[in-house]
Amino acid sequence: MNRSPMRPFLVGACLALAATLTAGAVAAKPEVGQPAPAFSVADTTGKTWSLADLAGKGLILEWTNHDCPYVQKHYGSGNMQALQQEARDAGYVWLSVISSAPGKQGHVSAAEADELTEGRGAAPTAVLLDVDGAMGRAYGAKTTPHMFVIDGAGSLVYMGGIDDRATTDPADVAGAENYVRLALTDLAAGKAVSNPATRPYGCSVKY
Amino acid sequence: MRPALILFLLLPLLAWGNPVSTEQVTARLVAERAAAAPGETAELLLSLDIRPGWHTYWRNPGDSGEPPRIDWTLPAGVEAGPLRFPTPGLIRVGPLANFGYSGRALHPVSLKVPAGWPVGEPIRARAEAHWLVCEEHCIPESAVLELSLPVAERPGATDPAVAGLFAEAREGLPRGSIPDALLLPTAEGARLEVPLDDAIPPPVAVRYFPSSWGLIEHAADQPWRLVRGEGGDRIQVDLTPDAGIASADLGGLLSLRGADGVARSYELAPRRVAGRTSGREGASSLGLPLALGFAFLGGLILNLMPCVFPVLAIKAMGLVGQGALATRERAIHGLSYTAGVLVFFGVLGGLLLALRAGGAALGWGFQLQYPPFVAAMAYLFLVLGLALSGALTLGVRLMGLAAGPQRPGQGVAAAFATGALAALVAAPCTAPFMGAALGYAVTLSWPLALAILLTLGLGLAGPYLLLSLWPALAARLPRPGPWMEVLKQLLAFPLFATAAWLLWVLSVQSGPTGVALGLSGMLLLAFGLWVRERTVLAPAPWPWLGSAAAILGLAVALWLALLVDGTGIQGPPDTPGVDTAGDARERPAQALPHEPYSAERLAAAQAEGRPVLVNMTAAWCITCLVNERVALSTRRVAEQLAARDVLYLKGDWTNRDPAITDFLAGFGRTGVPIYVLYPRVGEPRVLPQILTPAIVESAIASLGDPDPSQPKGESP
Repeated sequence: MNRSPMRPFLVGACLALAATLTAGAVAAKPEVGQPAPAFSVADTTGKTWSLADLAGKGLILEWTNHDCPYVQKHYGSGNMQALQQEARDAGYVWLSVISSAPGKQGHVSAAEADELTEGRGAAPTAVLLDVDGAMGRAYGAKTTPHMFVIDGAGSLVYMGGIDDRATTDPADVAGAENYVRLALTDLAAGKAVSNPATRPYGCSVKY
Repeated sequence: MRPALILFLLLPLLAWGNPVSTEQVTARLVAERAAAAPGETAELLLSLDIRPGWHTYWRNPGDSGEPPRIDWTLPAGVEAGPLRFPTPGLIRVGPLANFGYSGRALHPVSLKVPAGWPVGEPIRARAEAHWLVCEEHCIPESAVLELSLPVAERPGATDPAVAGLFAEAREGLPRGSIPDALLLPTAEGARLEVPLDDAIPPPVAVRYFPSSWGLIEHAADQPWRLVRGEGGDRIQVDLTPDAGIASADLGGLLSLRGADGVARSYELAPRRVAGRTSGREGASSLGLPLALGFAFLGGLILNLMPCVFPVLAIKAMGLVGQGALATRERAIHGLSYTAGVLVFFGVLGGLLLALRAGGAALGWGFQLQYPPFVAAMAYLFLVLGLALSGALTLGVRLMGLAAGPQRPGQGVAAAFATGALAALVAAPCTAPFMGAALGYAVTLSWPLALAILLTLGLGLAGPYLLLSLWPALAARLPRPGPWMEVLKQLLAFPLFATAAWLLWVLSVQSGPTGVALGLSGMLLLAFGLWVRERTVLAPAPWPWLGSAAAILGLAVALWLALLVDGTGIQGPPDTPGVDTAGDARERPAQALPHEPYSAERLAAAQAEGRPVLVNMTAAWCITCLVNERVALSTRRVAEQLAARDVLYLKGDWTNRDPAITDFLAGFGRTGVPIYVLYPRVGEPRVLPQILTPAIVESAIASLGDPDPSQPKGESP
């Protein structure tokens, strides 16, 4: 008797077990406290950014569309730029993501995107052009703006709206509770984010 | 530059008047009657006529957007009620969904006129209306609508110019609310159960619009079905939970479109059922390593469970048969057996998950819930028993199942088959540890669920594998000899006992007809095999005829087994004598009085503030029967339950019952037994799967002292 008849079974069983244990995390919806979905998207300079390359750094993702009145509320008032600057000063990488499909509102070329950044005095680390919407779908990005905060270990720690005033009125920025700023404050204090999932508000992402 | 952006830049210039036309919308504020009266309520309407292709939003706008709102400027004492929202439509935008209106959105709103308002003095209302209007892109718009409302002694006549508009607005509003809606956690997500009034025409399309964000995925499909039951019709809607389902408000609007094309909507305030918070989260918080540990331990314990015992006997025979083999061959045997168990669990798990994905409400142990399967298993055990007792000499392949062959070439295949058989019989026996591990598995993604099931298989195969791998242990086994024949014959009896038990299960599932069919099948099969046995050594044509007789017997027996399914249609819940409390002679004196379980009965009792004990059982579940005999049939338990007015609900899962499968899923379980005690107030408590009278009595005592002053039915 030789070993060959049973070996496939054992190898198969081990492979099945191993595959199942690793595969579980990949296809899941984004969930707070779980590893953030992987992405690999080029920015306006052609450089590719991926979650794996950012290990060890805090990361903030901002879905944006410059023609959306909700986005304009936060850029027009300088709110978004101030938050970007604060986050980067605190050591975070800030990626603005544009998932608008070609021909849809908010879709821009790399040059246009850079012009927008400069014209608005925005301070993201980079602007990602998610032309096919793959990254947006992986994160379940629904609105512009829609904010995600990922800690250095690659776990999603916040997802949702930028603040609690779901309006287009720039006057509402002043009194609003900025959920992203609160999350950064909690993280800086070594605490868990107290309000880790909120309702994202804004225009729909134009996939 | 895009027109939308130009518009946006022009926006601060608010339009004034009534009506007001913006680029996308014509807004009007109209009163229903020509005059309002002091102390009365005047009905107004905000009407938004929306450019084709554009839409405005419901109170929960869905994945994006914003509902319209009014900032009022009113004279002192005049109060405006909330803006009311008609039934929205589902507007899909790529992978997202919005809830809103196209064409025209009519929002009724009431103005309360103070009693002391001077007659003849008109009310000047100034409504600053804001709305977001979207095609694919969105534009926030505003208008200041001014209305001068005459005030007379009595409310004026209905303004004929707007009567049609108001009628249309009322048509679109919710028709009221449906009480007693339930939200049940299921293996797939969540299910809404809504009792349907006779007055509501059966719908052809159904959609649930949640009031708040985070409850369900807005864009997900909502498969629904109409269920006709004794207590009236119900609508079941399958929902896909979103991040906040544990904390979100469950309320919302159920829209039912009838065959007449009219969408009728009803406000719902569903109640959570079956302790999602305690049950499911408890199961999910069981970490993966712990769950795998439990699964392994559960598999080990399965070796000791009553319904695995006959197979243990087969396994013991197999080991004895291998006594003469080399250590290496024994190891190969053990590993093949393990592979057999694992493949079986893998296939069964795959099947379970495939059925789960297909929406079939099935649970673990479903094999024995299918009467033809039970009959076929009874045949198998009869034939194996006959073979062991020496009445039949079956082909090497079938013999290999029981005794383990001596020739190496068949050793692997037979050990593999024995492993698969062991697993087949073990699956329905939900050992205590298995419950939590399996429940955990079913709530997981399919790869993780399979991992749990395979670990369970490893536990089941473990002892045998250990025995065959460990030469020291194997060496202690007795040497082969004439005693083996005696042992083989003796071991036929557990197999006959299993066949008898399976027939009893069949009697519970399908009644006397099912038993008659099963016994006839067994008779024909035994006769066919006997003919074959008599003729196998006879001259030329006889062995062929004998085999034909055996095959014919088997075919007819299997056909009869399939007929059994038809007899089971009446189903146990209504059949007297189906009570699984055990021995019928015991019942009149000792079995607890109970009512059959239904989610509605449970909800009703809880609404009354009555404590409830739920027991989910099945005829084929030995643990269940033992628990009922040992712990639930004592006089003390009966007295304590009566003293505290505890309602005892019993669910029978002998045949598939989706309502019970859902209940089990609510507690992260996929098998019976489960015992849940619902106190008057607070979270339900799950009792252990192995009960003693002391456990039951202390659990009932924890409900608090019997309070005779508290009448039945009083709310907490």
